[in-house]
Amino acid sequence: MLVSWRYRQRKSLIQWFDPRAWIIFYGCFLVTSLLSWDVRFLLPVVAISVIVLLTSGLKWHEIRRAFLFIIGFIFIFTFLTFLTGRGGSEVYKQEHLIRAFKAPFSILGWTPTLKITAERAIFAVAQFGRVFGIGIMTLLIPYSLNPSFYGVTFRGIGLPDKIAYAMDLTMRFIPTFGRDFQLTMDAQRARGYELEKISGGLFAQVRKLGPIFVPVTIHAILGSEDIIDAMDLRAFGIGPRTWLEHLRYQPRDFLLIAFGVVMLVAGFVLVFRGYGVLWVPAALLHLAGG
Amino acid sequence: MTPETPLVIEKLTFRYRDRKTPAIRDISFSAGPGEILLIAGASGCGKTTLIRCINGLIPRSYKGEASGRILLNGQETVGWALAKISQTVGTVLQDPERQILGTKVLHEVAFGLENLAMPRPEIIARVDESLNYLNISYLRDRETFNLSGGEKQKVALAGVLAMRPSILLLDEPLASLDPASAYETLDMVRRLADEGMTVLMIEHRVEDVLRIRPERVMFMSEGQVKYLGSLEGLEKVVDYHEVKLPAKAILERAARDPAPAELNVLPGVSSQDSPQSALVKFENVAFSYQPETEVLHGINLEIKRGDVIAVLGPNGAGKTTFVKHAIGLLKPKSGNVLVNGRNTREASVAQIASTLGYVFQSPSHMLFAPTVREELAFGPKNLLHPKDQIEKEVKEALQIVNLSEMEKDPPLALSFGQQKRVSIAAILAMHSRILVMDEPTAGQDYHNYMSFMDAILQLPGFEAILFITHDVDLAVIYANRVLMVADGTIVADGSPREVLGDVQRLEKCRLVPTSLLSLNLERWPRTGRFLRAEALAHIH
Repeated sequence: MLVSWRYRQRKSLIQWFDPRAWIIFYGCFLVTSLLSWDVRFLLPVVAISVIVLLTSGLKWHEIRRAFLFIIGFIFIFTFLTFLTGRGGSEVYKQEHLIRAFKAPFSILGWTPTLKITAERAIFAVAQFGRVFGIGIMTLLIPYSLNPSFYGVTFRGIGLPDKIAYAMDLTMRFIPTFGRDFQLTMDAQRARGYELEKISGGLFAQVRKLGPIFVPVTIHAILGSEDIIDAMDLRAFGIGPRTWLEHLRYQPRDFLLIAFGVVMLVAGFVLVFRGYGVLWVPAALLHLAGG
Repeated sequence: MTPETPLVIEKLTFRYRDRKTPAIRDISFSAGPGEILLIAGASGCGKTTLIRCINGLIPRSYKGEASGRILLNGQETVGWALAKISQTVGTVLQDPERQILGTKVLHEVAFGLENLAMPRPEIIARVDESLNYLNISYLRDRETFNLSGGEKQKVALAGVLAMRPSILLLDEPLASLDPASAYETLDMVRRLADEGMTVLMIEHRVEDVLRIRPERVMFMSEGQVKYLGSLEGLEKVVDYHEVKLPAKAILERAARDPAPAELNVLPGVSSQDSPQSALVKFENVAFSYQPETEVLHGINLEIKRGDVIAVLGPNGAGKTTFVKHAIGLLKPKSGNVLVNGRNTREASVAQIASTLGYVFQSPSHMLFAPTVREELAFGPKNLLHPKDQIEKEVKEALQIVNLSEMEKDPPLALSFGQQKRVSIAAILAMHSRILVMDEPTAGQDYHNYMSFMDAILQLPGFEAILFITHDVDLAVIYANRVLMVADGTIVADGSPREVLGDVQRLEKCRLVPTSLLSLNLERWPRTGRFLRAEALAHIH
């Protein structure tokens, strides 16, 4: 059986709207976030995600693990990009050096050097803001969207029955996968397996993860076959289906969709007006002596 | 045969694409309206393949070579879409967990009707009718994830009944149910048949099904029908070691055979050993998954050398949560669990595993190796056993579970019953001092599980054994101590006679006295101990 996310009905902004309206708004938000690297452009986008988070009615203990994982992941990802300077090389051509740290040793004549430039620094801020906004808005969906409405929501935004139901199953597959992973971990730990003590080279380490990944993968495949059998045995996919849940748009939902569309259009307009590229504040350039 | 006969099978043979021999051969029978046909037989005898042929999953989902005919209400099903078959034939799978798709009971029961594109009001009416019929209307708006095993089974059945099939196929519907839930399910099945439905039920728990007097019984072996006829006939033709018959029937037949050998239980534990020090100790243990709901409360318990403990209790009582504390997979929220005097909070699971081996309920969560042999060697290797010793441990474990011939086979390609035996052998090979098994017999045929339970109990290495079960007879035959768990507490702890003799308490814990238990209680003055029916037959 597929497990559901920890959804609860709460008094929150996100749950005040029809789930279809929210998904459409989320789509607009996602595209808008991806339009620009300009921090001034991204600031309101991040602000929206923070407002939605603060009004979500979620308790800290409910999202603590997921939130910290996302923030930690974004931070490490951004920091690595900042150190290597690779992620933003397509966004900016010229760099203004603020400071360089040279290692006190050389390897075959090459001295490792960390260059802090104005572009790298502002790109890190922009990247963190963009991924943070998207991450938070995405994280809130499973906690706020009623699992009983997944299918009808996707159907309601125009997807065919089969794809809408597949999306429903996919949404619920993630927590199911998590449960199976934990069960397998427990079963192997009971056989003396200790994930934290895995040693050897990269390939040896990957191979030693087999006791976890093989059962989890096989279980997922077998589980999918069971689900397909169960669906086939109850006439799924023979033609258009009725969705028992019936969603009705309220005026506020149209307002939300309109807001999302306006945000998207405004984003495009700003990009055409030159706000799509990386913006480096004059203060940073000044610091770099530029 | 009249054209109205709901189900007719003629010379049906099927071979899976990747197998050399047919899974079922030359099967012919028919089933009339209002009839319950019980299908029994060992694991791998072809029962599930037969069901898949009837419900259309073969050849649509499982490819292979088929011959013969299947007629539903006089019409041959070749070329029918699965959707068309599913309106005549309803199937409830072995594990309701595998069948339930909806997040709420309402949506689960409505699923098939939604697919048939019925209007909403009709769907709602049929869902309510179905739930009412099964007396589970109160579950209508509940989340399926939070249902007990018995409730899930009923909801799965409601989802099938809502489509108003005339034939119902049940594939081991009782496997994961506590006895009371199993009896409730059986009573519903009888009612359905009495109202005209044709029911084919695969079940290992033959004795339980006999209670609802199935009209006929089919016994299958190696893909063929070995017996098809009345209940009385079955008791005469099948080997009572292969099918679990009522205790009195075994008694009559076993009296003519030699008396079974006495079990030498836990031979490594001498009766003179001091039972003073506890191998495992629970000190006022409480636990909760969510802060607001406590699952275990006030558990105080000692497991000592020589204990063979059966843990009984209803679905969702907290039995698995309780034993997961013993191996340190779960740590108590308050209180302590000590294994060999060491607090589980201060030891890793791997460290505890060398003392306490734990066989999980589902084998598919642990099997990964390319061969059975490597699967069995995994645990001992992790515990750093010497190579020579591992060889010996693996060989011995394979013999116990009767899988020596399959040591080079990939475990994942074996049947569910065989996989379960591999999972037990994998823990046996670790040679822990205490063995803990969660539902070791679920999904196993009678002959297999009795054989490996006999073998396990007689292993010299173990100092104590604990098993969770719904099978009261397993506790009667093998346990020297019974723990009854209900609502997260231990409601009874004592000898099998003390605990199982209290019928009222049994019923409160959703257990039902079996014919073997009743016979043992009746003969207690003469025997002074609980025995299997074969042994009782030789005590006069």
